[in-house]
Amino acid sequence: MTSTPLTADARAPSLLPAAWAAFRIGAGQTAAGWTVLAGRCLFYTLIMVVISALWDKVAAEQVAGAIRLSGDLAIYVGATEWITLSLPALHIKFEDEIRGGQLEPHLLRPKPYLLMTFAQSLGGALVRMAALGATGMTLLLLSGRARPPMEAFGYLAVLGVLALIVGMLLYGLAGLGAFWARRVLPFQLVIQKLMFLLGGLFAPISLYPGWLRQVGEASPFAAHLYWAGAQVMAPSFGMFATALAWQGFWIVVLTGGWVILWRAGLAKVLREGGA
Amino acid sequence: MTRFARLYLAQIGAAIRCAFADRANFTLQVGGMLLNDLFFLTLWWMFFAGFHSVGGWERRDMALLMGMTTIIVGVCGGLFGGYRDLAATILKGELDALLTQPKGLIGRLLARESIASAWGDMGAGVVVLAGFAELSWVDLPWLLVALAAGSTVFLTASISFATLAFWASGARSFARELTDFMLLFSSYPGSIYRGAVKAIAFTVLPAGFVVMLPMQLIREPGWAALGVVMLGAIAHAALAVALFHLGLARYRRGATPGSA
Repeated sequence: MTSTPLTADARAPSLLPAAWAAFRIGAGQTAAGWTVLAGRCLFYTLIMVVISALWDKVAAEQVAGAIRLSGDLAIYVGATEWITLSLPALHIKFEDEIRGGQLEPHLLRPKPYLLMTFAQSLGGALVRMAALGATGMTLLLLSGRARPPMEAFGYLAVLGVLALIVGMLLYGLAGLGAFWARRVLPFQLVIQKLMFLLGGLFAPISLYPGWLRQVGEASPFAAHLYWAGAQVMAPSFGMFATALAWQGFWIVVLTGGWVILWRAGLAKVLREGGA
Repeated sequence: MTRFARLYLAQIGAAIRCAFADRANFTLQVGGMLLNDLFFLTLWWMFFAGFHSVGGWERRDMALLMGMTTIIVGVCGGLFGGYRDLAATILKGELDALLTQPKGLIGRLLARESIASAWGDMGAGVVVLAGFAELSWVDLPWLLVALAAGSTVFLTASISFATLAFWASGARSFARELTDFMLLFSSYPGSIYRGAVKAIAFTVLPAGFVVMLPMQLIREPGWAALGVVMLGAIAHAALAVALFHLGLARYRRGATPGSA
């Protein structure tokens, strides 16, 4: 039994149409499950209602000695939640297929498993992102809040898609842990909480003490959430370029992590079996 | 009643032993959940370090809320774990085999599973309450009553959501999402809710009865507060039982979800 390598090689041109087909299948599947998509949009709405209530309360009180808020954090959290809720459950797919022995049939196919799975999941994620984006814009208009400048939406659209890829790669790493662990939930939970702490899911990391902010900014978790979300607070081309650089860096590093884990895990499966 | 309780204990005991059997997985799940909860505690700690208070809520109030919520979710998952996928159980027709067995159908369904990670939640909740909520021994009886009432509301509201599966084929994910929404509402300071949002928190997604009112009972104990909390728990339990039996009657007639 052999596996087709993930990395680009002489067959790369033939892989692109296959990846595109997988992408379209994923997009089509997600669009067809519109009730689930509607549920996700409802969840986004409820989260925004709760978190907006929290940040509005904090901003309204301005307790003496407390941190001063420099912008509308509800809009910031709207952007970070938009990215978070667009993510597919790639880690669960990996867990199911690796632990359930469903990986082996994929290995016999001529297209790389990882690439096809990633492309299919990305297709679904982008459909979710579009639906949640429309929901977010509707909520913003209905809320009567001051809208960020127009360029912020352009920056956010580009960084949001790249942020989604960073997030998929991060959770994918947790999923590939299924080669060694029966359940990947603990890995997922740790990543999820680091999204809160270093990624700025709940509040921008610019509110943190200097040393923690620097750690957060350089982490893949900020590349997933903070850098995109920060654009709606204070958009600038300089920050946009910095964000692009960090996201590009982490996409390369995390892709490398996928390849390493995949090869090690596959070697284990081929040597010991998948159970 | 005693027979029912003994049967339930025997069944859930078997489910717990089953969850414990895979030691490595159990340890990983419990450890992961403990870490998860401690991360959350750290986040709220940092939040209150920066902002001091939200609508009169301080760090100790948030610790009480978090400790209670995690214990409630832990108790429900550890001792009544079948609630989590009850809608799927109904939709898959798994009730058929159980209907041929002696009475206590809801109990049998709830005792089907003990969720390993829920034990981590329970442990984390106890640590948070003991270490950060600034409770004294005098509060213990009220705390136990509040936890019992909150767990009852959380569990029975989840059962009510799951009974949608008797009528709608797409109820599996929707029921779980409603439970998650209720948990979401239960995880933030009660002081932030106003108007329609507060109304939702006390009706459709009864987070108000899961943690907010029980918390009030602990901070300001009294007969009136106790009465409201107990009444809320009894009403939600009665509603869940009524909805379940209404749906079960339909199921016994052979009606499938979505049919007339």
